[in-house]
Amino acid sequence: MLTLPVLQIHRPESLDEAVALLRDRPGAKVLAGGTDIVPNLKYGMYEARELVALRGLSRELRYIREEEGELRLGAMCSVEQLAQHTRVRQLFPALADAAAAIAGPQLRRMGTLGGNLCLDTRCVYINQSHFWRSALGYCLKKDGTVCHVVKGGQRCVAAASNDTAPILMALGAQVRLVSPRGERTLALEDLYVADGVKNTQIAGDELLVEARVPLAAASLKQAYGKLRLRNAVDFPALNFGVAVGVNEGKVSSLRLCVGALAARPAMVRHVDELKGRSVGTAAEIRALGDELGKRAQKQCKPLTNIGVDPEWRREILPVLIRRGVEKAFL
Amino acid sequence: MTGSPQKQVLVTLHVNGEAQSVAVAAQATLLEALRYGLGLTGSKQGCDKGDCGACTVLARPLDDAQARADGCGARGEPILACITLAQDAQTLALTTIEGLASPQGLDPIQQAFADCGALQCGFCQPGMMLSARALLDHTPRPSLPQIQQALSGNLCRCTGYTKIYEAVQVAAGTREPSQGVPVRSEPAPGVSGPRVAVEEIAP
Amino acid sequence: MSDKQGYRWHDPVHAPGGVGKRVPKSDGAAKADGSGVYADDLSFPRMLHAKLLRSPHANARIRSIDTSKAEACPGVIATLVGAELPARYGVIPWTHDEQALATDHARFIGDEVACVAAVDERTAEEALRLISVDYEVLPALLSPEEALARPDIKVNEKAKVGNITKHVSLAFGDVDAALAGAAARSHQSYYYAGNTHAPIEPHCAVARVDGDGNLTVWSSTQIPHYVHRELSRVLGLPPARIRVVQPLLGGAFGGKSDPFSLEFCAAKLALKTGRPVKLLFTREEVFYSHRGRHPMKMDVQVALNSDGMIAAVDNKILIDGGAYASFGLVTAYYSGQLLTGPYRFGTYRFDSTRVYTNKPPCGPKRGHGSVQPRFAFEVALDEAAHQLHIDPIEVRRRNFIGENVETVNGQRITSNGFLKCLEVVESASGWKDRHGKLGRGRGLGVAGSMYISGTAYPVYPNEMPQSGVLVKLDRSGRVAIFSGASDIGQGVNTLLGQIASEEIGCDPRDVTVVSSDTDLTPVDLGAYSSRVTFMTGIAAKEACGKLRAQLQAAAAAKLGCAPEDIEFELGTVRVARDPAKNASFQQACQWAEAREGRPLAETGGYRTKDIGEGKLGGDYRGGTIGASPAYSFTAHIAEVEVDEETGMWSCKKVWAAHDCGKALNPTLVEGQIEGSVYMGVAEAQLEEMVYNDRGLLFGPSLLDYRIPTSLDTPLLEASIVESGDPNGPYGAKEAGEGPLHAAIPAIANALFDACGIRVRELPFTPAKILALLRERDERAKGGA
Repeated sequence: MLTLPVLQIHRPESLDEAVALLRDRPGAKVLAGGTDIVPNLKYGMYEARELVALRGLSRELRYIREEEGELRLGAMCSVEQLAQHTRVRQLFPALADAAAAIAGPQLRRMGTLGGNLCLDTRCVYINQSHFWRSALGYCLKKDGTVCHVVKGGQRCVAAASNDTAPILMALGAQVRLVSPRGERTLALEDLYVADGVKNTQIAGDELLVEARVPLAAASLKQAYGKLRLRNAVDFPALNFGVAVGVNEGKVSSLRLCVGALAARPAMVRHVDELKGRSVGTAAEIRALGDELGKRAQKQCKPLTNIGVDPEWRREILPVLIRRGVEKAFL
Repeated sequence: MTGSPQKQVLVTLHVNGEAQSVAVAAQATLLEALRYGLGLTGSKQGCDKGDCGACTVLARPLDDAQARADGCGARGEPILACITLAQDAQTLALTTIEGLASPQGLDPIQQAFADCGALQCGFCQPGMMLSARALLDHTPRPSLPQIQQALSGNLCRCTGYTKIYEAVQVAAGTREPSQGVPVRSEPAPGVSGPRVAVEEIAP
Repeated sequence: MSDKQGYRWHDPVHAPGGVGKRVPKSDGAAKADGSGVYADDLSFPRMLHAKLLRSPHANARIRSIDTSKAEACPGVIATLVGAELPARYGVIPWTHDEQALATDHARFIGDEVACVAAVDERTAEEALRLISVDYEVLPALLSPEEALARPDIKVNEKAKVGNITKHVSLAFGDVDAALAGAAARSHQSYYYAGNTHAPIEPHCAVARVDGDGNLTVWSSTQIPHYVHRELSRVLGLPPARIRVVQPLLGGAFGGKSDPFSLEFCAAKLALKTGRPVKLLFTREEVFYSHRGRHPMKMDVQVALNSDGMIAAVDNKILIDGGAYASFGLVTAYYSGQLLTGPYRFGTYRFDSTRVYTNKPPCGPKRGHGSVQPRFAFEVALDEAAHQLHIDPIEVRRRNFIGENVETVNGQRITSNGFLKCLEVVESASGWKDRHGKLGRGRGLGVAGSMYISGTAYPVYPNEMPQSGVLVKLDRSGRVAIFSGASDIGQGVNTLLGQIASEEIGCDPRDVTVVSSDTDLTPVDLGAYSSRVTFMTGIAAKEACGKLRAQLQAAAAAKLGCAPEDIEFELGTVRVARDPAKNASFQQACQWAEAREGRPLAETGGYRTKDIGEGKLGGDYRGGTIGASPAYSFTAHIAEVEVDEETGMWSCKKVWAAHDCGKALNPTLVEGQIEGSVYMGVAEAQLEEMVYNDRGLLFGPSLLDYRIPTSLDTPLLEASIVESGDPNGPYGAKEAGEGPLHAAIPAIANALFDACGIRVRELPFTPAKILALLRERDERAKGGA
């Protein structure tokens, strides 16, 4: 058995109770579906000894509804719900695809949207047992001072491995955070920070409660792409979300976000240069895809934090992006 | 686990239609509570961290409204007991492999797995059968791709999945069990080549 | 009978019955309803939980171990260090190089160093952290080349020369002359990465001492008899005071065919504390336990004469053994000795060196030692044949060695259905219309192979039976079979019921099988080298045959005919030419009990020498290793699809035809074929043990070490070919390991058909495929 440390488990019945607990029990961690935190606790990756379980908040936070020009997704929606929900599939099929690509059937039913957005970063050198990490000599992320991915690195580059983040970022999603101090809404891309130790700016007493996708984004040509070595139960070796706005046959907006690189899903830059391009024919769409792919390859550096040949991933990234764009226009 | 120096908590688990209370460590997983607390050893421990599916049980919120809102099947949806905390599982109606059979006998899934050769070592199979049961509860006549998708979170090392698919399809009534007949080979007398010199180069 | 969901309780194609029938498994219900007992399902009052402390260094002297702080922990009942059970053991008598806990030298990261028994696992685990070990870290040798270059650094003191476990080189005929005269030649280097069994059930041992001081160890093991012997030696207890029981076992594939630390430690702690002790591995520990596929570097030459006949095969192999020998002596031989069928080699030479390295020890994984060379050979054969424009199936047909022949290295082949295997897969796959014609990115490939049905001789030399079965009948009509053989999921217990049904006409559902309990069952060497169907089958047939005679005599006396006129059928005995004269099986048992005046119980055994074929194997040192009373044969065709832009590929389907002599239970044989092919495809596609520069294994989990899910596994079409072996029980040979080999080279050869590349390194990662595609394109540009 992989034993867990002794834990005190709080089971609030309301959101207010939950965030009050987070405030009053500093160091307590959130337990939603448990699919990330429980294995990590079993591997001794956290010092936390208290959990705030959110199952009791299901009624409050498990919803998918259209409000004020947005599709609003409660953070306690299961990944499986996201993948199967009629409106999600109709409006944002790429988001449904991303959710469907997560893990396996059981994990999708347990795992939540909030949990996936807040997924801890991953690295071959951290997601292992305490014994293994002690034999390694530990690492920057926990108990050590050395990064085994970037020689001499001072900042943790464990990889953002969430499937939902890149596509939601490409769609221009926002997230709402609640704390005893109030609430705030921010762009999802601003939620993430480039620090593998903790790659979100969620405060200790804050809870991510909702993701919001502008309904207008439903008209974007969108696609989710995931590279993985096997077809189930595999974190992304690379993934991306692309969303292209088209107005009168020309590109009016362009967002491409690539994940599974370093700690933050990366919005690919210099894509605005491609606005105005014609995307009326298959050849033009393919050309757009090539251009995006080139930019992505230039800016994105796969690392050895993920145990899949980074050189190969870099080499094929443009192909994957191009195919994603072509899929978006289908 | 009695005699443990660690404080225990009492959890009430609703398993196979019965509410049972058991003393477990505060951080005990549902799998520990089932196997070591309640003696329901049918759910297996293959990896204890959510990678293999051997601990799959079916779960449905006790709150019926929530269950319906979640679109849960009658017996529940497959979850992994090894990464579910026992304390956090108390609002769920759980079905383990021990709860699948009825007084009339094995569930058709169980019978088909037994008859079609899907059970080799059998270790992954309680989880596999429960995933299959949940599939058939939702989709009584699944296609092969649907079966493959539904079972993709249950690793099997013995069968190559082939007879598992057959068993699910037999249980669903969409195919008959395998009846292939072995083929006889023809006699093929060979001629031994000339004896060659053997050189023992090493050791 | 049908139920509301429309499931029809199908009727007896899956009938009760004798051999050749698709009888449902005898343990099917227990496995289906969750009541079956595996080692970790066992629990005893006051049972303690033990945990092992492992070395974080790949090579280190142990100066001292201080367990005092751990012992002082509340809830810790006892600790254990190597000095308390220092006797060396190992599955092969010539290489007793392991200790239950290292006394002075830890040889790989994960090597067991101390043990703690506590009231629960968490307490035991916390206590481990309080054990201080004073290590003197030594340089670690992590590759065979390194280990050969540094004989001064001893990985394993058992090695007589440097770090070599075993070096064997044999030549049969004038290989160099044959190479020189050849019309076509493939001479290339190959690399087969290490991989591991990954059974879904981790190892587990439970030990208990009773009031009389007798020790029982329940263990998830394939070799209860060898464990029994080693427990006796290491614990210093007579074997008569030790009982080893193998409960239901959740997969093994060769990963549970060594005696392990956990068995010795659980036993010793049970003796020390007077309480039952359970030791369950975490998944990570299963990886350190390993005993899996040896990485092999191979330099392989295959030369054909102008008529496509194999003139010479020459292999030079460097084997990475890990820190202990395990079955390594055998591995070195198998890497050469098992290649010489199903094709005839004009001449043959191999040079194999197994080297110790500071990594988890390799051992027997399904197809032990022969899978790697088979891969290289079948690719090289294709390549050489291609030079002569001979179709891959045709070259294999031409070189077919036939039945009742001797191979170039002196192995005696009896039955051989390989041609039929080729024919079946050729037809099923549409080879003639599709090979070379599927268009860019899709291809078919073929490969063949051969495997042993058990090694002719036991691992420790002796004249005693290698398998033993005791069968008991009584007036209730219930049959009890006591078999030492390990049912590891392959279904041997079911086969025993079928053999009884075949011989004495009982219903196999009226048979109880008591298996692998050293107190109760006769000795059987265990489930390894695919020996069980053949050897235990023969033993069972013998025992049942004796009972058959007693039943016939008693029934004949009552029914008024000659004994040879009595025939049996599923619960009935009757007079052959007068079936109205019959009685129930139960009645016949009562007549026989009365007639014999003593309980009806007979034994059967198996020894290779009793088959009467003389000494098996070539007449040279090591000639018996690889010798088998019968060989199985396999032909596979694989279909692959390649995405040339990324190098990603998938195997869409494998057609596998396997000659198992006689399928005693076609469902079980198909299951073995399918499972073997699955495992082979997995090795080609995904599996690799990778270590960092300190000898730390990357990703010891089922998330990082990827085995195919249902969405990654090709369609598998298994066909059974029966050649009827003269020595096998009812003609049966093995099916548990043979069908793995050909899958890998069939895929490699299919990749060539699909896109003109030769893959020579496992696993066939997309990165490697893409690199080969680029090379191919470069060559094409260069006009080569």
